[in-house]
Amino acid sequence: MSNSTQTILLREDVQARLRAKRRRDLRGSIVFHSFVILFGFLMLYPLLWLAGSSFKPSGEIFTNLGAIIPSEPTLMNFVNGWRGFGGITFTTFYQNSFLYAGIGTFAAVLSSVVVAYGFARLKFPLRGFWFTCMLMTLMMPVQIQIIPQYIFFSQLGMINTFWPLLLPRFLGQAGQAFFIFMIVQFIRGIPIQLDEAAEIDGANKVTFFLRVMLPLVKPAMVTAGIFSFYWTWSDFLTPLIYLNRPRLYTVSVALRAFSDPAGATDWGAIYAMSFLSLVPVLVIFVLFQKHIVEGISTTGLK
Amino acid sequence: MRKATAILVCLLLIAGIVPLFSGGRSEEGATAASELRIMWWGSQRRHELTIGAIDEYTAGNPGLNVNYEFAGWQDYWTRLTTMAAGGDLPDIIQQDYAYLSEWQARNQLLPLDSFISSGVLDLSNVDDGLLQGGRIGGQLYGLNLGSNAESIVMDRAVFEAAGVEIPAWDWTWDDFEETVLAIREATGIWGIGGNLYNEQIWQSIYLSLGEDAYNAEGTGVGYSDDGPLVRHFEMLLRLQEADAIPHISEHLASYHEQGVEAAPIVAGDAAMEYLWSNQIIALWNAAGADRDMVIRPIPRVAGGEAGVYIKPSMFFSITRTARNPEAAAAFLSSFTNDVGINRILLAERGVPIAAPIRADLADRITAIEATVFEYIAEVPNWASPIPPPEPAGHGDIINNVYNPRVAEAILFGQTTPQRGAEILRQEVASILGSN
Amino acid sequence: MVQSLTFATTRSRRNAISGYLFISPWLIGFITLTIFPIIAVVYLGFTRYDIFSAPQWTGLANYRRMFTADPRFWTSVRSTFVFAFSSVPLKLAFALAVAMVLAAKRRGVGVYRALYYAPSIVGTSVAVAVMWRQIFARRGLVNWVLGFLGLPSTTSWLGEPATAIWTIVLLVVWQFGSPMLIFLAGLKQIPAEMYEAADIDGARAHQRFFRITLPMLSPIILFNLIMQIIFGLTVFTQAFIITGGGPLDTTNFYALYLYRRAFETFQMGYGSAMAVVLLAVVGVCTAIVLKTSARWVFYETE
Repeated sequence: MSNSTQTILLREDVQARLRAKRRRDLRGSIVFHSFVILFGFLMLYPLLWLAGSSFKPSGEIFTNLGAIIPSEPTLMNFVNGWRGFGGITFTTFYQNSFLYAGIGTFAAVLSSVVVAYGFARLKFPLRGFWFTCMLMTLMMPVQIQIIPQYIFFSQLGMINTFWPLLLPRFLGQAGQAFFIFMIVQFIRGIPIQLDEAAEIDGANKVTFFLRVMLPLVKPAMVTAGIFSFYWTWSDFLTPLIYLNRPRLYTVSVALRAFSDPAGATDWGAIYAMSFLSLVPVLVIFVLFQKHIVEGISTTGLK
Repeated sequence: MRKATAILVCLLLIAGIVPLFSGGRSEEGATAASELRIMWWGSQRRHELTIGAIDEYTAGNPGLNVNYEFAGWQDYWTRLTTMAAGGDLPDIIQQDYAYLSEWQARNQLLPLDSFISSGVLDLSNVDDGLLQGGRIGGQLYGLNLGSNAESIVMDRAVFEAAGVEIPAWDWTWDDFEETVLAIREATGIWGIGGNLYNEQIWQSIYLSLGEDAYNAEGTGVGYSDDGPLVRHFEMLLRLQEADAIPHISEHLASYHEQGVEAAPIVAGDAAMEYLWSNQIIALWNAAGADRDMVIRPIPRVAGGEAGVYIKPSMFFSITRTARNPEAAAAFLSSFTNDVGINRILLAERGVPIAAPIRADLADRITAIEATVFEYIAEVPNWASPIPPPEPAGHGDIINNVYNPRVAEAILFGQTTPQRGAEILRQEVASILGSN
Repeated sequence: MVQSLTFATTRSRRNAISGYLFISPWLIGFITLTIFPIIAVVYLGFTRYDIFSAPQWTGLANYRRMFTADPRFWTSVRSTFVFAFSSVPLKLAFALAVAMVLAAKRRGVGVYRALYYAPSIVGTSVAVAVMWRQIFARRGLVNWVLGFLGLPSTTSWLGEPATAIWTIVLLVVWQFGSPMLIFLAGLKQIPAEMYEAADIDGARAHQRFFRITLPMLSPIILFNLIMQIIFGLTVFTQAFIITGGGPLDTTNFYALYLYRRAFETFQMGYGSAMAVVLLAVVGVCTAIVLKTSARWVFYETE
């Protein structure tokens, strides 16, 4: 079939066809690029608008509403916004957020890789059962557990500490089923002969895990780390429930309080702080763009 | 295997470092004696003034560290409850007349009487009648921070431009409707802002008829006739239809819970606003001190008594879990009696209860505060006695029934005033009955 | 023989021990922070509990109240379903359409993918919700743009019961990035020969789409569908910040209402009963999707 088509094609005026095709391609690619760029601009407009608005002087916020580029850019919004509220500046909130996101990410990646290795390479009774249980937690909304977890942590006297936020991450329960699953898949792609060779050499599981496995799964750990950082950074519900003192607020909770309509009027400052809170996320996105796209494509992460 | 254990130990050690960073209780235990935590609700102006007062207080009490937290009204109660559940209430919390008994019943508040008898909390300059609202079962659980009354603030310039008379002190809801419509007709702006479905007005309407929103046993509504409430909502629907008040959708989106500084009267989009007298100061300052505002009480039902009463604007209470109740009581004493502190606070929480403070402020206050002081001095001549405190369950009724299913539903046209009043009656009985 | 047997059993025993050691962080967390809370939430659902005093057994009272005497419960169920079943198909259709455009082998598609994904990366953050609230405010960006286009508008999008929910749907659809990337990965897996063969058969574009693309992508659609339905049914932050559940409870989504009952009026028992119902609903929805999937998901038989 395909052969005969080609033969027919060759009999036609090949030159003319090729020229027409090139013209069509050019036109097609112009249409493609202009459409994609235009639509992309529309998509990004709100974010660009937010960024632009955070540099607008207060007089311009409502008069020059739709503009992305302020006519008289100013940094005052950042200066005013950074002061925060109640005598607590955003320095504190960023410290809290970096602490939470930093330790939280570390905990999540560490526990995920340890557990994933166990599931992927070690044989133990009920392994399949536990693995299924783990996958099931993927589908469990957090709302199911928050009430009992809140009671549990409050009885342990852990309200207003970072424990209720970090402990689930050390114990692989804060959406880490995704990471564990991803790393398990990754490890399964590593030749089992490596393990066998190590066993013959007399290395035990732990040494093998630390010396051989960890370096090999690094790429998967990086992906898990990036996503874990995102989730922790923008996490709102958990800090909202567990951290009730302004001094402990993470950026997301502080931003909510800061933009509380009951007290807030300085929209420039609110835009500036909102935009600023997205910067760490966007920077990591730009730096690790490849990793992120691949991570999602191959594993279906968030 | 030993190594695996070693790793687990390492993990636990790493985990063990965490609380060092996490600002938990251990850190605070060391400084408990010299630390005081205070929390209040309010808007921007209250936050600024209160922080100023706290700074003034700590300047006179070196070694004392006062930590403060604040929130808007709605958020405040959520956070307070969450803190109470975690056993982590601040030492001093702001309380409201509507919730005081509920919090006392939950055993979260400390009676203040022992501090008064020991002299730490000096109330010798306070008229006992002003303390009454904070007493439950003969014990003082809330220290009144100022006197307050429901009021309607009016922009005199708009009234004059519209050729509408400033209403009398004993005006009725019928007068009210006429006034609002007349202003709308003459000026094209709203007669009044949109907060007239507030549950306080429900209570005020029945107060005006010598009844109360809740019955004395706390088992249901305290009135037999839904008519007055129904007529109030019918009036609101007429005003809304005439665009004489902001439509409920606009009110919710642009004004509700936005602080009095955002009220439409501030920007000149309305001629009047319904609010508590202590809020007038913040509103007027936001509107500009050069504006001329007149204050009148909330209207009464035609043929009824006054719908207005003098209420403790809010209380400070000391919590049961307070680490240092003595220091908290000393703070409250200064908050009530200290001239310097009250010169900063400027009666923002209502007219001060200590007579010497009122006298001191009389010479220093601006025309704005003076107008409010005069109003509060005049109201008792036109007021009904204060209704008893709301029963426990009031919060549930307001959040889950009155606002979403009655007031907003009626104003959005989802239900009739008649049906709304019935729902309210049924649900109040069902919620209070199950307590 | 005997020796090697004991050697084997000790080895498998040691394997079992180290296996459990490796998964122990997850296992401990699973039991304490997932299983125990599920049991607790079921129990608390039968009680009246305000956290200040011990829970009181009330049998089915919470459920009876929920199903027969709480119209707000039904409003929240209805709006949650409206939200989930409008935002999920829209989001997935959008994601698929964009993925097909960006699957083209042209210059710069890598950059486009990243740009289109950017709104999703900041997705659920408080900053974006705060921004969204301003965009749809009465003096917000949307009304400004409408005025600019000669369609002056003073609609308060967030205050109208008819429009508020759609602003949140729009926000969620705007973040179609993750399913888009997953679709892109899926599209790459479809062998080019299939399309070539179809071309030769003279298939039209829509035929190629319905006969090849959709069936080949169906397992991925299934995955996306389940995950997005769960996200849709548990949406919280956006409604909490943008509309606060109003107007007229039209955006008082299930998770928000549950939070309100549990943490605003401290009806932990009622909230727990709601959590149990949520668990059941998520379970049933997933089961239905999986059950029907046999009819429309096409698995390559190898």
